[in-house]
Amino acid sequence: MSTKTDKIDRLAALTAQRETTTGGSLWVEAFRRLRSSKMALIGVAIMALFVVIALIGPWIAPHNPTSQLWRDEVFTNRGEFVGPRGENWLGLDHLGRDQLSRMLVGARQTLLVGVISTVLGFVVGALIGGVSGAALAFGGRAGQRLDTVLMRFIDMMLAMPSLLLAVSIAAVMGQSLTTVMIAVGVVQVPIFARLLRGSMLSQANADYVLAARALGVRRRRVVMGHVLPNSLGPVIVQSTLALATAIIEAAALSYLGLGNPDAAQPEWGVMLAQAERFFDEAPFMAICPALGIIVTALGFTLLGESMREALDPKLRS
Amino acid sequence: MRIARPRAARTFVAALAIGLVASGCASERDDDNSGGDSEVFVFGAAGDPAAIDPSLGSDGETFRVTRQAFETLIDHEPGGTELVGGLAHDWSSNEEGTEWTFELEEGVTFHDGEELTAEVVCQNFDRWYNWAGTYQNTTLSYYWQAVFGGFAENESEDVPEPNYVGCEAPDELTATITVAEPSANYPGGFSLQAFSIHSPKAIEAYAEDDPSGEGENITFPGYSQEAGTVAGTGPFQVSEWNKGNGEVTLERFDDYWGETDAGVEELVFRTIPEESARRQALQAGDIHGYDLVAPADVSTLEEEGFQVPIRGVFNILYMGIIQERQPELEDVQVRQALAHALDRQNIVDTQLPEGGVAATQFIPDTVAGYSEDVQTYEYDPELAQELLAEAGAENLTLEFCYPTEVTRPYMPAPADIYELLRADLEAVGITVEPKPLTWNPDYQETTRSGGCDVYLLGWTGDFNDAYNFLGTWFDGYTKEWGFQNDEIFDLLSEVRTEPDVATREAMYEEANEAIMEFLPGVPISSSPPSIAFSPDVNLPTVSPLTQENFAEVSFK
Repeated sequence: MSTKTDKIDRLAALTAQRETTTGGSLWVEAFRRLRSSKMALIGVAIMALFVVIALIGPWIAPHNPTSQLWRDEVFTNRGEFVGPRGENWLGLDHLGRDQLSRMLVGARQTLLVGVISTVLGFVVGALIGGVSGAALAFGGRAGQRLDTVLMRFIDMMLAMPSLLLAVSIAAVMGQSLTTVMIAVGVVQVPIFARLLRGSMLSQANADYVLAARALGVRRRRVVMGHVLPNSLGPVIVQSTLALATAIIEAAALSYLGLGNPDAAQPEWGVMLAQAERFFDEAPFMAICPALGIIVTALGFTLLGESMREALDPKLRS
Repeated sequence: MRIARPRAARTFVAALAIGLVASGCASERDDDNSGGDSEVFVFGAAGDPAAIDPSLGSDGETFRVTRQAFETLIDHEPGGTELVGGLAHDWSSNEEGTEWTFELEEGVTFHDGEELTAEVVCQNFDRWYNWAGTYQNTTLSYYWQAVFGGFAENESEDVPEPNYVGCEAPDELTATITVAEPSANYPGGFSLQAFSIHSPKAIEAYAEDDPSGEGENITFPGYSQEAGTVAGTGPFQVSEWNKGNGEVTLERFDDYWGETDAGVEELVFRTIPEESARRQALQAGDIHGYDLVAPADVSTLEEEGFQVPIRGVFNILYMGIIQERQPELEDVQVRQALAHALDRQNIVDTQLPEGGVAATQFIPDTVAGYSEDVQTYEYDPELAQELLAEAGAENLTLEFCYPTEVTRPYMPAPADIYELLRADLEAVGITVEPKPLTWNPDYQETTRSGGCDVYLLGWTGDFNDAYNFLGTWFDGYTKEWGFQNDEIFDLLSEVRTEPDVATREAMYEEANEAIMEFLPGVPISSSPPSIAFSPDVNLPTVSPLTQENFAEVSFK
């Protein structure tokens, strides 16, 4: 179908093949390649930094991110803003709040949305993909039909541009943080589903499965005990990549005003949207959250891409 | 699939063709504009007009357009709020204030060639009075109902009793309008754009075109949605309304009766909803002026050589309180605590354009009836906390509504003002639940139907009479305030029917004092909305009522 589905199916097929000649599994091989990749190391470093900030941000923030401590010093009506200074390293925002504290605390909300929506996408996607893969491999004719129905539905979701889909969902459900999580999560569902299904199909033809079937092990046990655990690998790799897109999409939805209705709570997308109005007078206000989003997404993408490359030697050329 | 492919191909070709044609048209139009034709003045508006028939309008965007093509019996002096002659050079009333006589100007021609006579004025008033069906919905007849009450035959219980009695034309140029009760709305009401005088031929044509729909879903009559039928007496006539581009084009009317003709041949109002997009369009030279400049942009624009005249102050921003939502809010001590908690001066200093002031009552100090002796509520968070404790409302939780994606003349950045007020309320221990709503239609509907504990709203005066402010809010029970206070209600209905202006002023002062003692809401500020023009135009006189006359505009 599209390059998107091709890529997903290929990743699934490749990771499922075990290299029997060298003795080392694909995973060991992949990890070795990953370690020597600078791209991956930078990605890991950025990701680690971001996660640490998100976890301890509220404790290291120098000021309360929501209190307008210096509101008498910022005059938006005259275009007078307070830039970086000793007391406030990243300056003040348009309501006299400390920008650094807002960045630090905002990271947490961004990470939270990213993680929860990815988990959501993972669970629902794995459920659909698992059912579909199992039905196709072991379900006979009825299973085939079930698989067709499920996969056409998934293909339909894949065909829609993900951000557009997320915006539509958020627009229908109204403005809240849960909405953003669900919207971003739903976008991830088809990717996980397709991936797990492909991975399970490759496993279904493996010798050990055949052996189990021949020994008379029940189909349900073959699926749950053998095929599924061995198919989860690529799906977990995908999660890292998905986290990157989730963070970007969460920021995008907040920027569009579909996020947390409480605009006082710091969130990078919201901060960017608020700073945009004053870009001519106070560019620093927009640059901080923009850089934050770009660097974080870059980190996750670097790591995810290099993981994919490590797992797929053919992509490395 | 096989069938689908050629169809898809055809669709693609069609789309391509449409695209080419559209882009062709666009570039053609651009050529026209940049081709040195300096006689086209383009003004950036924040929203589309609702109709090009002012009688159906109720908002500033509609009236800004129609004001250029339609005139009223009485007008405001340029740049001020005093009433001066319009289509009528003189007007007077009997002692009771129930008979208003207008002496019309001679030789006034409508855009379609008809002559203005007293008969025509009566025809106009009779048209409004005899409106039936969907016209009786406030979406179409808000101002008629507010100023003249109901209709010849009211079709719903929500419509007030008519105050209009009739109109007579004792001679060619004298029209007498009779009302049942005197009102503070007269003569100011006669200056409202909604009561512009239309040509008799146009009125006949209007009758064949009816609006439809109910509630909020009203379809405006067809004649009011495209140029061709409407005809007034103004210096411009509407020549085209291109809804796709959001542009209303008006042409200079060469037989204008007034002393000077319009300064430009063509006047275009282009809708650009986004504030920063309007600014960029002005900076890029695509438009020659726009309204509702963000205060932060004023200094930038001035530095770049643009003209940013300052208007007079004629509006009020307030925090409305809906008392019946919570028993605590019915306690005056709690409302006083809210007022003491808010640092209004900070909003004036940091958010509002130059010339803004903190408000002490529900009218700006430029309106007659402003009282110096109202109870004031200084910013004092400690006192606010004490008051809350005394009232036993330490755990007060308020649902605070504010509009998003909108700029109002009295409120440049609602979300920011909300954040500041919210921080003030939280500082005295009140829990605030934010409820952001889109301005149109959610916010207006929710606040009007009493859906929030507190909310931000304001009002720009239509004419210089305090009743236009106070009467709008406090002449009886409304859901948007949710209280019963017969003292205030009675005072305002008394003042409404008081014909003597001086007595009325004294009564307004009394009413203002009573209102501020009762404190139904917290008036926050009055501020002048900014308007900007490119350096190469001669400015119109800016008006505190935001009633600029674009006929005064010309290129240098």
